[in-house]
Amino acid sequence: MTVLEVAEPVSPLVGAPPSSPAHRLRRAVRPLAGYLLVLPALGVLIVFYYVPALLLFVISFFHYHLGGAGSSFAGFDNFRVLFAQPLFWQSLVVTGYYVLVMVPATLVASLALAMLLRDGIRRSRRRKGGAAQALIFLPHVTPLVATSLVWVYIFDPQYGVANDVLRAFTSHPPNWLFSTHYAMPAIEIYSLWHSLGFYMVLFLAGLSNIPDRLVEAARVEGVRGFAAFRRVIFPLLTPTVYLVTVLATVNTMQAFSQIYTLSGGAHGHGGGPAYSTTTDALLIYQTAFTYNHFSLASAMSLILFAILLLLTLVQRWGFSKLVFYR
Amino acid sequence: MSPTVTATAVDAPPARRPGRRRLRRSGLAALRWGAAALFAFPLYWMWVTATGPKGSAYRFPPRILPGLDYQAFVTVIQGTNWARYMLNSTFITGTTILLVLLTASLAGWALVALPLKFRGVVFIVLLGTMLLPEQALLIPQYVVNYHLHLLNTYAVMILPFAATSSSIFLFRQYFASMPTEWRDVARIEGLGNLRYLWRVALPAAKPVVFTVVLLTFIASWNQFQWPLVMTQNPAIAPIELALNQYQQSYESQRLINAVSLLALLPIVLVFAVAQRHIVSAVAGVDSGVEE
Repeated sequence: MTVLEVAEPVSPLVGAPPSSPAHRLRRAVRPLAGYLLVLPALGVLIVFYYVPALLLFVISFFHYHLGGAGSSFAGFDNFRVLFAQPLFWQSLVVTGYYVLVMVPATLVASLALAMLLRDGIRRSRRRKGGAAQALIFLPHVTPLVATSLVWVYIFDPQYGVANDVLRAFTSHPPNWLFSTHYAMPAIEIYSLWHSLGFYMVLFLAGLSNIPDRLVEAARVEGVRGFAAFRRVIFPLLTPTVYLVTVLATVNTMQAFSQIYTLSGGAHGHGGGPAYSTTTDALLIYQTAFTYNHFSLASAMSLILFAILLLLTLVQRWGFSKLVFYR
Repeated sequence: MSPTVTATAVDAPPARRPGRRRLRRSGLAALRWGAAALFAFPLYWMWVTATGPKGSAYRFPPRILPGLDYQAFVTVIQGTNWARYMLNSTFITGTTILLVLLTASLAGWALVALPLKFRGVVFIVLLGTMLLPEQALLIPQYVVNYHLHLLNTYAVMILPFAATSSSIFLFRQYFASMPTEWRDVARIEGLGNLRYLWRVALPAAKPVVFTVVLLTFIASWNQFQWPLVMTQNPAIAPIELALNQYQQSYESQRLINAVSLLALLPIVLVFAVAQRHIVSAVAGVDSGVEE
């Protein structure tokens, strides 16, 4: 601190005189001051996140009873039990179905929305397009249970608007949440409604980073319309495509509240009908808190953890070949 | 610029006929508003359902305009513990926001301005929780809370969220961008580190404070799975959990939608006021941190 040296004759009011007890205390504390300030945050994160992360491994390899009494080492027993359970495999299939629909649908729809809104925003200087953007984004910040409930009503086979509309086209509209075939699509529609605005905003941010002169240059060369999108805009957008893919994968793999509520969690434990919407998150929840199998639930969590890690690595590797602009 | 061209068509290239272009543009505008209406519809439908006359939710054709019947709200507020749940959520959210501001600003400040041995390690530990998938941690977190005797308390809905990696990151970034000369001047003026943080750095970091408040508000007000798992006592239930229990009672759609609207209202009001800031805050954190 050069400034400090210049201003050597500091006012005597600053600090305690040298070698007084207060001064010595301050001296002793100074190297620790940083840690004192970091401590509250560090404490919370260690106790509620890092300790559980370690505990996850311990519980998964023990026959664990809540409180610890009567627990014993289990080796891979929990995993063996899991792998022998058809429901476990089915939950992976259901989760896969959910994720494999949600991620591509999210990518296409949110990018389309962003392209649609981009012109409006640029042209009207964020007035008209801004309002449309706000309306599309708003669902993302709404509480999942509160807004799931109105969708339960919308999807009601008898009184819901969805089927009021569909009856104009078919005499046999689906039973939505009461049907093993249509419950998951209904949940997917809700989830898209809730999240598309968020991903759209990410794409809008990505689009605003593309210099106008590039699109302009392409236009001069005669490249316009969809060709301009495919050859100029999309290649420049691949970093955002990567970001949205990763975030959408992580978020859909872990979806819980809307699936729980839409599949009737309040009346049973969610995941119905006939386990057709029991994703890994729901099965973990039920295994631990309905059936009190903490070890099995923990082993499943560990597998979920591993799958997420693997997917992230694969996506990173895949996109490292694809993203040529950062 | 010719005076006959309307303001909206100013940047149209001269090569194209203005009529076709205008048609295309109004078509796009219609699409845009159609999309916006589609997304707004469910929220509108809550309002229509909640304010219609009793029993109208089960009639065909459905009412498509909101009514003026606010009896459902009165019924719900008088007939249930709704005020209590609102209060619970307000208390939990308010306390969490204050604590997050405190822990995150202190930690962010220490990371930038104070001597910290192993700064790199501390930094990684403070930000690393963003990589931990929350669903995978739920079971061991329940076990930890059990051993800390936190289950079924307000504290279990507050303490674990009293520090978040993203808010620490936001504060650190902002403090790091502030000119170090300020600090030197403040030191000469005899302002200690903490007082400098409180009097100078935090007021200057208002945008970050605002962002952290909004993000914490949304996350805390909307929490559902956590209280569902960690609490059983209805007296301390936050609003989302209470909604879930209310649904259990097979109430009419009119009442359920009235209650949902009440749960939604604070979020929508805050969004109406700070819409642009919320959009950039929510999108900014997730995309900025991912890098």
